[in-house]
Amino acid sequence: MLLPKFNYHEPRSVDETTRLLGEIGREASVLAGGTDLLVNMKLGKTAPKHVVSLSRIEELRRVRRGQGSLTLGACVTAGGLNEHEEIKAEFNGLCQSAGSLGSPLIRNLATVGGNIVTARPAADLPPSLIAYGASILLKKEKSERTLPLDEFFKGPGQTLREPDEILCAVILNAPPPYSGGGYVKLGVRKALEISLVNVAAFLALDGPNGPIKEARIVLGAVAPIPIRSPSAEAVLMGDKPDDELFEKAGNAASKDAKPIDDFRGSAEYRREMVKVLTKRALKQAYEEAKLREWRRWK
Amino acid sequence: MKTLINIKVNGRAWDLAVEPNRTLLDVLRHDLELTGTKRGCDLGECGSCTVILNGKPVNSCLVLAIQANGAEVLTIEGLAGPSGLHPLQRAFVEKGAIQCGFCTPGMILSASSLLQKNPKPGEEEIRTALSGNLCRCTGYQKIVEAIQSVGERGQG
Repeated sequence: MLLPKFNYHEPRSVDETTRLLGEIGREASVLAGGTDLLVNMKLGKTAPKHVVSLSRIEELRRVRRGQGSLTLGACVTAGGLNEHEEIKAEFNGLCQSAGSLGSPLIRNLATVGGNIVTARPAADLPPSLIAYGASILLKKEKSERTLPLDEFFKGPGQTLREPDEILCAVILNAPPPYSGGGYVKLGVRKALEISLVNVAAFLALDGPNGPIKEARIVLGAVAPIPIRSPSAEAVLMGDKPDDELFEKAGNAASKDAKPIDDFRGSAEYRREMVKVLTKRALKQAYEEAKLREWRRWK
Repeated sequence: MKTLINIKVNGRAWDLAVEPNRTLLDVLRHDLELTGTKRGCDLGECGSCTVILNGKPVNSCLVLAIQANGAEVLTIEGLAGPSGLHPLQRAFVEKGAIQCGFCTPGMILSASSLLQKNPKPGEEEIRTALSGNLCRCTGYQKIVEAIQSVGERGQG
């Protein structure tokens, strides 16, 4: 398959990129990992006049630890995230979701930023990033803004990103003590698969055995955008974590899901699976909360 | 407009003039005549175009040649040493892990990358590492056994 012709740009810095997008943003596509853009161009779904590659911008590939926070450059790859031991120790759910994306070959190309801005309803990273309370940094010429990732998505393929903006980084706050995250993906096969349903969970406890003082449940592939489940979160808040409570939360989450029927599965099946996956993601989150506390004392 | 790129393939440096819309896969196959790297789906699904780009296995159909400017690329042609086949290649022959052979270069490169990180991988780890490489002859079992035999002999 031939790629359509385009003008190629390879800016060396974020400033240079935003200046360029200020001029040609409306006719340009930003190239990060290429695992979506180049496929769509080959299939004739898009034919941008300009392609602006981020691959030469060193700072976008960096992982930085600040005071109580972690900043992931937009071009950190899913594979890099999945194998990053320090990140795994604090954000296991996030690494799980990075390890579920595509295949090992795709993960070595696909980027964190790309998985966000393409805004696919079944994407792997956004649910777990939202569960960990991530915000994103968007820059354009002479201005920048930070917003919660939760507010960024507007519909399939649609976000608040303006044509002259680039997503530069994802910012995560260090998780509080006695907290953990989980991510469970269901597909027809294990690799190179689009989620039928995915669920990310985050729990923070008020001590080693609870009660739960912070809970976030995010459902993927069951609505036009990844959605929080307020009902499940309400069930969890203030209660002691155990299997029975997780089951109740799963039932509540299933009521918040708004899945559709498609060739991958029926809406009814997806709603049932939300129950199971929510329960499993919560168990993972709780296990991680206990494990992290144990590591801290060791 | 063509752009001049410099790329090192299997240890040899090349200066090439490429159009921006050409993939690394096409440049390897057509300009450098390294046809061991296969074009299967051309969409990142099948893994037959696997190459090692700066130390990591990737689908070369999803990388623009121009993005590989300054990079080091290893293709299946560069895997064998001066003393003959790479242990993985030998194991694939010995164990009959080749049927039509189309997926083999990609399988072997993904496996070599796994063995570098993890010299004695278990079956599950091997299957995960190969999950981006499809074999339409469905010869997976022998492929896994071949890789396991290299791991056990510590030759990776």
